[in-house]
Amino acid sequence: MQTATDPKPGAVVFDRRQVYRPFLERLNPIGSSQGLLANGLIVAPDHDPRNAGDPPIHVALANTAELTRGSQMALVGGIGSGKTTELLLTQKELNRHGDAVNIFVDMADYTDLSEISPGAILATAGIRLYSRLRSWLKKRGKELPDAIKAAHGELRELAFGKTKWVEAEGLEPYGDEPDDDRQPVPVEVPGVMKLRLPALRSQVAEIMAKLDMIASPLLGDEAQITFLVDGLDRLIRPELFREFTEQDLQALKGTKISVIIVAPLLLWYDKSRFLQDYFDVVKHIPAAAPGPRSSAFLRQILQRRGALDLMDRTEIAAIAKYSGGVLRDLLTLARSSAEYAYRDAEDRIGRGHVNAAIKQLGNRYLVGLGNTHRRLLRRLIGHGEFPIENSTARELLVNRQVLEYFKGGVDYFAVHPALAKMLPKPA
Amino acid sequence: MTDFSATIAFGLVRRLAAAGTDTPSLYLLISDAGAIRAVEADIAAEVQVQLGLGLRSLVAAEMGLDRLEEALKRNPDRPVTLITLDRWLPKLVTALDRNVVSLTRGGAVLLLANQAVAERLLWAAPNLRNRLSDVLAIRPDEAFGGPMA
Repeated sequence: MQTATDPKPGAVVFDRRQVYRPFLERLNPIGSSQGLLANGLIVAPDHDPRNAGDPPIHVALANTAELTRGSQMALVGGIGSGKTTELLLTQKELNRHGDAVNIFVDMADYTDLSEISPGAILATAGIRLYSRLRSWLKKRGKELPDAIKAAHGELRELAFGKTKWVEAEGLEPYGDEPDDDRQPVPVEVPGVMKLRLPALRSQVAEIMAKLDMIASPLLGDEAQITFLVDGLDRLIRPELFREFTEQDLQALKGTKISVIIVAPLLLWYDKSRFLQDYFDVVKHIPAAAPGPRSSAFLRQILQRRGALDLMDRTEIAAIAKYSGGVLRDLLTLARSSAEYAYRDAEDRIGRGHVNAAIKQLGNRYLVGLGNTHRRLLRRLIGHGEFPIENSTARELLVNRQVLEYFKGGVDYFAVHPALAKMLPKPA
Repeated sequence: MTDFSATIAFGLVRRLAAAGTDTPSLYLLISDAGAIRAVEADIAAEVQVQLGLGLRSLVAAEMGLDRLEEALKRNPDRPVTLITLDRWLPKLVTALDRNVVSLTRGGAVLLLANQAVAERLLWAAPNLRNRLSDVLAIRPDEAFGGPMA
């Protein structure tokens, strides 16, 4: 253990920060998953959460991308369920082949997600693909064709816009003076058939054409291109995500470029079954259901990050239980427990620190709950009923006050255990 | 009021020091509306004293959606950012919620709000809520009559 030197020469004093800081850094629930993966801190699941006999999600997605080029896959799960981690594990799996061109993008890194428009996925992927193509050609001692350079320039203009200089508009015609420049005005005449998916917007089609041009040398060489798209689940509302699918992903159909995209949880429960109908493969990550196998998985996550150095197995078990199987909550609880122990100037995390952390997390889920929400939660606790088609119930699911589980072939809901502990009894 | 752990600027900054200021962290601090200015000043002073850093301080009403990207940019010299949500700004909160990953990249972010704004924020921003390192009730130093964690 490191120590800090005391003002007295030769003396050393105990520096408790050095006990907790490395642990807190490894536990950060909002730290970069890429860093964790590189440091070997990620525990990869050993099976599909919905079927213990199936390979884990990242293996299944990678296999599909490798065997069926151009397939489109969706990964759906609640906030903090480990979707980004699965996506990164998939990327790692795909990297096993030398000809794999894997483009991982978190859309939030490239654009303001509250202002994003269809075409943005294609534009981002195209710009990233261009830099990969440059190094791919360089390795082969080949020059970048001018047409592709031009396509990239145009793609950037379409993505980020440009300043155009145009002639000022002419004056309005005066009085009865004829207006020779009058242009026809378009009038839409509806047809008898409704398209299954809306037509591609012209700008999206234009972006797709540039992307196609950039991808052509790689695809011509039979490369396996996969776009792994993260971030759009944060749009929460299914209709916003659907717009991107119907434009950007539809444009990619038939290109032999595979896509794995993270989707918002509400789409999993959408009556239209859009997710299941549109995508070739849909994988759902429920919260880790209570049970020996899941509990062992949760314990392993904490142990991999050094929990046994600072707490006993009973504390680890309590944290796993009250996380509800939500991976980010698991880390949050462990981190808060460590912070409480540090605050109390203790060298180890005790049950009191874990209880305080559970209370904090429960309170966080309790804030803002109105009577309707509380009634729904009590009904779920008391009778196991949860009307998922109800919009208030869906809010509870999105906010993770209610968690979705899958066990023994059955989907079910439960109140987050930390919230259940703090939920006041009815008067 | 929901019973969150209470702290003062001293305890909060001590936590940041324990975790390291480069570690991404996101705290929601709930204060009485009348005490917000005093809490801001306390945090700035503690960040200076305990961490030897200047605090990057932003007021939500002045941030504007068009300047969000600039606001989210990290400043390596001032890795602790305080955003005071002085009133309910639904569009800004939606933008922060959707861009929460950029918000928390590479430093500590402290969101300071009164009880009413904090409650609405927790309900309206599920991505942000899920990434909070903690929610703390914060009071000016003199309210405790001495430092506490």
